[in-house]
Amino acid sequence: MVSHGKFARFALAVLTLSALALGVAGPASAQAKIGVLMPLSGKGASYGAHQQVAIKMFQDKGGALNLVVYDTRGENTDAINLTRKLIGSDHVVAIVGPLFSGESEVTFPVAVQGKTPIITPTSAKPGIAAANRPWAFRNALTSDKLDGALVEKWLAANPGVKKVVILVDTKDAVSKSDGGIVLPAALKDRGVTVIDSISFQTGDIDYSAQVTKAKSLNPDGLVVAALYNEGANVVRELRKQGLTQPIVAGLGIMDPRFIELAGPAAEGVMTVNDFWTDNPDPAVARWVAEYKQRSPTPPSNAAALMYDTLDIVRACVEKSGVSGKPDDLEKDRERMRDCLSRVKDYKAPVTGSTTFNADGDALRQPVVLVVRKGKFESVR
Amino acid sequence: MLLQQLVNGLMLGSTYSLIAIGYALIFGVLGLVHLAHGEVFMMGALIGLQIVLWLHAGPAVALVGALLGTAALGVLIELTAFRPIRARNGPIFAPMVSTIGVGLILQEVATKAFGGEQVGFPHRLEPLTWRLGPVTISSVQLLILGTALVLMLALHLWVTRTRMGMAMRASAESTLTARLLGISTDRVILVTFAVASALAGAAGVLVGLSFNAISPFMGIDMGVKGLAIMLLGGLGNIYGAMVGGLLLGAIEVLSVAYLASSYRDAFVFGVMILILLFRPQGLFGVGQVR
Repeated sequence: MVSHGKFARFALAVLTLSALALGVAGPASAQAKIGVLMPLSGKGASYGAHQQVAIKMFQDKGGALNLVVYDTRGENTDAINLTRKLIGSDHVVAIVGPLFSGESEVTFPVAVQGKTPIITPTSAKPGIAAANRPWAFRNALTSDKLDGALVEKWLAANPGVKKVVILVDTKDAVSKSDGGIVLPAALKDRGVTVIDSISFQTGDIDYSAQVTKAKSLNPDGLVVAALYNEGANVVRELRKQGLTQPIVAGLGIMDPRFIELAGPAAEGVMTVNDFWTDNPDPAVARWVAEYKQRSPTPPSNAAALMYDTLDIVRACVEKSGVSGKPDDLEKDRERMRDCLSRVKDYKAPVTGSTTFNADGDALRQPVVLVVRKGKFESVR
Repeated sequence: MLLQQLVNGLMLGSTYSLIAIGYALIFGVLGLVHLAHGEVFMMGALIGLQIVLWLHAGPAVALVGALLGTAALGVLIELTAFRPIRARNGPIFAPMVSTIGVGLILQEVATKAFGGEQVGFPHRLEPLTWRLGPVTISSVQLLILGTALVLMLALHLWVTRTRMGMAMRASAESTLTARLLGISTDRVILVTFAVASALAGAAGVLVGLSFNAISPFMGIDMGVKGLAIMLLGGLGNIYGAMVGGLLLGAIEVLSVAYLASSYRDAFVFGVMILILLFRPQGLFGVGQVR
């Protein structure tokens, strides 16, 4: 590795951002630093804002972790630079983040190279953690574990659907894989024909041409693979141009902002996730109630998964014998890695029983959701 | 589908036109490109949105408010980023660089004030839609088209029929001669900035209303496209900007409809390069390119 002092000076040139520095005195393990990467501005700022509330809540509930938080702006280059900084100059024992699959795809190899465990709470594109063994983990269900259940329920609710058009964001990694590979496969398995796949890009503002094209193909159902901003605008435009077909959307739209932006057009849209705000489960309801006291908006799955990921990381810091001493850095990182790879039936506070499989991906029970009266509701 | 796509293209194109006209007006009198023009457009959308949110007003009030607000912003930009450099005989391209700075400042200010998130107009402004055979037209689309046409007509009358318009054309031909003839060119430039910025502000509100995707970064792509359209139409030619905007809007939408939609911008700029190869002075440009 490069000389640390030199690297630290060099890293000052890199974008540095608000760090929730919490120098808490206590056992030696509490001094071990954990890096956090998330978007606090730019693309996905809403996800990041949710995660920030979750972090604050986690820290307040005792057993605070020594966190170093950086803003990736949802940009791959920033995510890479900040990962290097966390490993090389902040000397963290593990990294929580980044949020997007695109970011995870490029930062995981950096973490592998730096022999530092990295665990994203959210990225759902299949195969990313598997390609970066043994250091990369995901506390998220990959979309191939979600979309089968989603398509199943969607078709059960709309038995008339035989041919669909897919509208896909080809600039966003998880949406591209979801709309290009995973959802089409799940649809084909159930005898549904994909007539056409129409693309747009993250940040586009005019979707009228794509929607008119979809309309002209006269499908029975519509599939949207996008993040919440673009997804909401696509759904609005679909309804505006008079397409009344049932809509199913990939997990990227799962954020309260989706309903806010799409408004009435969001009604009836189906999606899938492992967390939803109105889950009647008492543990989740308690957590949501407390979250709402701290935030004007209800929590998204990004917040819930961040909270649970921090909980898993804390359990590992406490139980795996991490010393937090500078000389033990390499050992500590290995201890964290081994502990994370052994997570099995862990009782995560919000999303419940969690296991990491051999690929480093989480296994949990997915829930299919539908928007009703401006809220996500589970489909029974 | 073609008919509906042409309607889509017309809507997109008329907002492009309004932005491109602003570039053309300013280029006409100053021979310079105003690189914060996309951000003025963005501020127009945000001002319109704030008016709707705070005053519970309708789109018409938002439009007027944004026109006035961005006109004032345009004047401010001329006074701070252009005039001081002109007065000191700074390098010819220095004002362009200073407007890049203005653009970044506006983006940052908007992010700090309203957050980096994408926002939309409230759903109560949801447009009414009419179906005319195969074509769906919404009230917002009529508003866009109506506003764009009225503004362009007003601009045409102003440029050709008023003394101020005449003074502006004289300044565009030669600032020095205009000044010798007793025209206060500084005042002409100020008015030009106000008009150009007001048009961009109106475009901001119209885009905000129709696509509901308002963010501090919405001006970046639009700014580049407006600039490209100004080039395509003929440097500094406002009629070229009008037609160029509609043309580019139509090309863009048709490329999405009949070709791969991920390449819409590549296709749009490809066509532009092609046209400029054969007509370097632009579609409506006259004579030699300086």
